[in-house]
Amino acid sequence: MKHSLLKILIIGVVGLSQTVAAESFTEEDINGSFYPYNDWTPAAEGYSVGVVIDQSNADQYEAILDEALFRFVKDGWVTIRTAPTTDFPLSDDYVAATRQYAGDVSVAENGTLNNFVAGRAFPQEPRADDPQAGQKLVWNYQYGFNSGDSETIYPFWWTFRNVKTGKVERTLKFEWHFLNFNHRVTFDPKPAYENNPGGIYRGIYGIVKEPFDLANTQILIHRYQNDTKRDNAWLYVGFQRRVRRLAAGQITDAFLGSDLMIEDFEGYNGRVTDYSWEYGGTRNLLIPFYFHNDMELANVPENDPDGYRFIDVEGQGNCFPKVTYQLRKTYTLIGRPKDPNHPIGKRVINLDAQTMTMASLVTYDRKGDMWKWFPIGKAHSDHHLPINKGKGVALDDFAVVIDIQANHCTTLQFKSQVTDDVNQPKLFSVQNLRKTGR
Amino acid sequence: MNIKSTSHVTVLLLIPACFVATLLFAPRAYTQDIEFRGFAENATYVRSKGVGLTKSRTTLQLELSKVWKPTGLFSEFSVSGTFRGTYDAVYDLNDDEFGKNSGRSVSFAAPGNPAFFGILATGNPATPPFPPSTNPEWAGIFPPPTLTGAIPLPGVPGGNIGANNPNEGLRLLGDDVHNFEQGGVVLAYPTRPCDIDNRGCLKDYMDDDESDLRFPEFNDDLDFIRELYLDATIAFDNGDELGFRIGRQQVVWGRTDLFRVLDVVNPVDFSRQNIYDELEDIRIPMGIVNMEYRAGASGPFEDLNFQAIWKFEDFRPNNLGQGGEPYAILGAGNFFRAMKTCWDYGCTAWNFPATDLAVEFPVGAIGIRQANLPSDQDFGFRIEGVYKGVGFSLNALRYTSQMPSLRGGIPADNPFTPPIESQFYPYSLAFDIDFPRLTMLGGSADFYIESMKSAIRVEVSYTTGEEFPNTLEERLFSESDVIRWVVGIDRPTFIPFLNKRRAFLLSWQVFGQHLQDYARARVNAQGIPTVADVGMVDWKDNFTTTFLFQGNYLNDRLTPQILSAWDFRAGSGAIVPSIDWKISNSWRLTLAFNMKIGEGAKGFDDDRAANPYPPFTCAPPLAAAGSPLCGTAFSSLGASGYEPLGRFRAGPFGMAINEDEYQLTLRYRF
Repeated sequence: MKHSLLKILIIGVVGLSQTVAAESFTEEDINGSFYPYNDWTPAAEGYSVGVVIDQSNADQYEAILDEALFRFVKDGWVTIRTAPTTDFPLSDDYVAATRQYAGDVSVAENGTLNNFVAGRAFPQEPRADDPQAGQKLVWNYQYGFNSGDSETIYPFWWTFRNVKTGKVERTLKFEWHFLNFNHRVTFDPKPAYENNPGGIYRGIYGIVKEPFDLANTQILIHRYQNDTKRDNAWLYVGFQRRVRRLAAGQITDAFLGSDLMIEDFEGYNGRVTDYSWEYGGTRNLLIPFYFHNDMELANVPENDPDGYRFIDVEGQGNCFPKVTYQLRKTYTLIGRPKDPNHPIGKRVINLDAQTMTMASLVTYDRKGDMWKWFPIGKAHSDHHLPINKGKGVALDDFAVVIDIQANHCTTLQFKSQVTDDVNQPKLFSVQNLRKTGR
Repeated sequence: MNIKSTSHVTVLLLIPACFVATLLFAPRAYTQDIEFRGFAENATYVRSKGVGLTKSRTTLQLELSKVWKPTGLFSEFSVSGTFRGTYDAVYDLNDDEFGKNSGRSVSFAAPGNPAFFGILATGNPATPPFPPSTNPEWAGIFPPPTLTGAIPLPGVPGGNIGANNPNEGLRLLGDDVHNFEQGGVVLAYPTRPCDIDNRGCLKDYMDDDESDLRFPEFNDDLDFIRELYLDATIAFDNGDELGFRIGRQQVVWGRTDLFRVLDVVNPVDFSRQNIYDELEDIRIPMGIVNMEYRAGASGPFEDLNFQAIWKFEDFRPNNLGQGGEPYAILGAGNFFRAMKTCWDYGCTAWNFPATDLAVEFPVGAIGIRQANLPSDQDFGFRIEGVYKGVGFSLNALRYTSQMPSLRGGIPADNPFTPPIESQFYPYSLAFDIDFPRLTMLGGSADFYIESMKSAIRVEVSYTTGEEFPNTLEERLFSESDVIRWVVGIDRPTFIPFLNKRRAFLLSWQVFGQHLQDYARARVNAQGIPTVADVGMVDWKDNFTTTFLFQGNYLNDRLTPQILSAWDFRAGSGAIVPSIDWKISNSWRLTLAFNMKIGEGAKGFDDDRAANPYPPFTCAPPLAAAGSPLCGTAFSSLGASGYEPLGRFRAGPFGMAINEDEYQLTLRYRF
């Protein structure tokens, strides 16, 4: 009996030592995390709203440009037009879920989360002296509200461009869908679909509409609740009429010839536990957050039933969004892959503090040289399509991946709709690939 | 199978025209999306070793689909069609090799004929030989002393088979593969399209006219309608779906590239380019009712679906390419045409009954009488799903073999007797082509192994009812259950010195085939020792491996690859380096070199040494010894050669050993 008690005690102590205890939070933490601009406006020395930053004055604003953007401005590739910092409030449901559940969440020894249900896992301000700060930030990103519970992006154009000449080499026209099977806060069922035997956290489904040699190519990704479980991914190859399982290596390979790898989707599209994460500090940076309807838009897509137009392109090689940038509070999150054969040396992700979405990503190769720049332009959901009004999502609206070493870019133009209309679990099944393919 | 009249053509063209018009002009109130796309393509292939052009195919393909808004019972409703028309100019540009002027007069060197004839004429081995032949033409002149060619067997009426069977437009079976150095049996086969030379054409199986070959889709099977089907889905409240796809379609089973283990629902057109075209382009779409119950996530399964299929369109076999076509896989079409000619017209067989002899068989003695196309319908069932991350399927199909079986045992003439008999002679080379009923059970799975960084594909099938040539059997075939399997490994791998930005796809497969009821021996069916193996031509176990090495440059606009394959038992394979250049969203250029390597032709027992017509065909040593065995039929004693059965050992690579090709394809997509 004594031995049994001792054993239980030892197990208990060991168990406790393997997790970091859940942290309490205050309403002040909630306000600071979700509403930072209620009573505060980011500032930087010499910066005033409306200033135009170009090659001539780039040095003056180096501190508020990420490392790649500074380089581009300095090289005269792009001119930055600035606009006032605005509030991008997330859904009240997401904030409420944070209030309800965040107090129970902790980081386990293996880097996964304990007791997470929904909302932002760690609303507290990250601290430089917290060894778990990077891990907490990446979880805030991973379980963020980037696409709401469910999103459709269609049309979604990926255009391959030569940075030097601006020549358009190829345009892939997609339809994409995203669905959170768990941690849902706005659409029913909440917080999760019950019939989920695989334990899927998130499904991502995309289909190529054009060009015709790739038409009907479809991709399906399942990410699991258990973050130590490898993602499953399948590709339906149109000309083979077969579903092929993707090997993990294909997750870190250029997707359909673009400058993105599957692991890049949404900024970082992989298991949290595949990387080691470090908090790199808090910075006020100029990032492409804007009101879509106030921008000077492109003249495509033509004949959109909603009259929607994409964000236009400009700058060197037409690789940059024709939008205004806001000075916003960001957290720098540095991720290093644990796999020594991973093609990436590190990812420097600049997370927008309010929305916890990736504002920009600078990727370095294994030699430590800057490789790619990947900003995602975020549109306020109240100033976009009517269907998005009130959804409380910082909408993916424009992105570009510039391969600095190859002088090549892929621009991504979105029509994002936060909706559960067609985004039901059956859309994210392997059989749907076969059904949709020919 | 050619189109017989203008009105017929009009009807054929009106069908897709009406369909297209319906799709394009259906009231918008009922429709949502319409898709229209297609491509125009020219594929020009040139074969080395003096053959020249083998393909100059221009293709126009249109793909249409229209989706209707959800209505009534149906949550989804759509109609899709694919129409393809091709013109292969090889039959006009290289008609000396393939087409109306192809073939030639053939001759055999048969120095042993005079002596053999003497024996045949007198029955006395001591008979002195006739003078050597000076002009050993295929169709000889009889009787002696004006012997100039092959020796008619006694059953040849009038001693001459030349009437209606002229020595022109012919090639020797296997002359594209070997130089007859092994001394096996050789036949001649007509090469010209069936409207120009109908010798050896098999009704409804291998009887293409010149227009059928030039315009292969415009035939009585309406092959220009590659696919035309409607899709409908009934959605249930619990999220499950019942889906129907009805019409001409491709049903794709399995997870394997190049090989077909489970993917046997649709027959395949190998005449397009042997095994090298994409299966999507060479599957022969069939009229099928395809029902799926999509249960989605169910119980422990992450995905679970049930599929039932009923193939209602008339049976169609694989198109193996008829005699004289540029692509006749295994040379089977050439063999069949030679044998059919033998049956209909009589024929000269070289190196028969022994090397350096040539004899003439009468009509109806040896050869292929006819092809019997069955009318049975096919049924299949599949369960497919995902369990603990592993994709799986269980498949069952009751179907008619798409590969032909040569069934002996038909009534035939005895070529050694003047009367025309009609009876079964055991071990005689008189066949019908049949397509046996098969039952296939199988399954497949795919999964990922993290330690290998590879996706694994596995497929296995067990088929009953398949038939194989077997020289131990009186009817020269036997059944065997067959196990086939494939393991495939796909591994994307960075090779920095070749491309530091993009991984290469390394895809390896090994395909195995095991014959459960295998029969092979060194004694014949009567227990007489044989000089070589006799029995089933196929291997008991065989393995073929493929390896694909594919890279991508210029953001996947330039795709070089090397595809290689090796048939272990045949000792032959292929290496196909190619480069694919996507010039723009619309234009695409592919340059390839299709190279065959290995041993080429393989020999096997050719049934020459059987005794189907006792005592005439008794082996000389037994006859000389006065063996009582000569009085009864016995199976082959193992005299072997490349022809005609060795082709089934050499396989598709070995039989194409001299078919190295340069290939250029230009496609415009719209």
